[in-house]
Amino acid sequence: MSEHKDPKPSPPNSGDGWRVLSYLIGGVLLYGGIGFGLDRLFGTQFLVLVGIVLGAGLTILLLNYRYGSRS
Amino acid sequence: MIAGVPTEFTPPGPESFNTTPIIDGVDWFTKPVLVAALSVVVIVWFFWGASRKAAVVPSKLQFAGELGYNFVRNSIARDAIGSQDYMRFVPYLTGLFFFILLNNVAASIPLIQFPTFSHIGWAYVAAIMSWVIYNAVGIKKKGLWGYFKHQTMPAGVPGWLMPLMIPIEFISNILVRPVSLSLRLFANMFAGHILLLVFVLGGEYMVFESGSIALGGVGIITFLMGLAIAALELFVQCIQAYIFVVLTAQYIGSAIADEH
Repeated sequence: MSEHKDPKPSPPNSGDGWRVLSYLIGGVLLYGGIGFGLDRLFGTQFLVLVGIVLGAGLTILLLNYRYGSRS
Repeated sequence: MIAGVPTEFTPPGPESFNTTPIIDGVDWFTKPVLVAALSVVVIVWFFWGASRKAAVVPSKLQFAGELGYNFVRNSIARDAIGSQDYMRFVPYLTGLFFFILLNNVAASIPLIQFPTFSHIGWAYVAAIMSWVIYNAVGIKKKGLWGYFKHQTMPAGVPGWLMPLMIPIEFISNILVRPVSLSLRLFANMFAGHILLLVFVLGGEYMVFESGSIALGGVGIITFLMGLAIAALELFVQCIQAYIFVVLTAQYIGSAIADEH
């Protein structure tokens, strides 16, 4: 099937936005969930918020490493 | 102003999607099953007819079939997976695209008017199928451990951040992907159908049953808005079939991609 050789394959980025979204959901879910669990464990109330913010921050950092330097 | 006796308006809700068996006693044979089966018949007829008498100078049907096939093959599969490995995924992606497309568009076809994927089980199965395939081809190419390393080790992240990043990668690449894939398709079909029901049933109620002339006028506008919504929904139905297949192709592409 080589009759259609691409001179330069186009970058696969038409769905990047959706993939970024699943990263953001994953990060917030994970660290928010950990915060929620620790709240349950210690009987506190603020760790879930810390977890959500931390998760969102870490995810944005991760996205920056992953997609930021793409030329 | 009040001309007749107003009756109570019951707005459409999730119960509007409850389907009853078409044939008494055959519980599993409901409208979505019928629509899905019809869509398979149409797809098989279309592509069989298009390829049966394939000629250098194509007939109209062959031309249409090649147009649809080439679209999935070149614009979705090759772009997302890369020209090395894409050919063996084209059959699955083409079938998936046309199956979802036809079942979505069924919501806009008179007399059928039911989106199969507004029943979430269908969306789950479609997403699980894609999930199994992209994980399986990744594991087959890199081995179990190598695949997990590939999917969870983000490139370019400094070492001390790795323990915090690996769980995020795992959750989003392995767990959130199938959920978002299925929920996006389901929610769009469900919401679009219920929106149409609200406009059409609401308009019908205001024009014919409210007994108020003022409401009747509003009802006509509501009908016209419903037409605009129907056009928008046709667009959404095509976009959702496209994005589902594009993402499936990208997941496959990233699962078998070489280390960057």
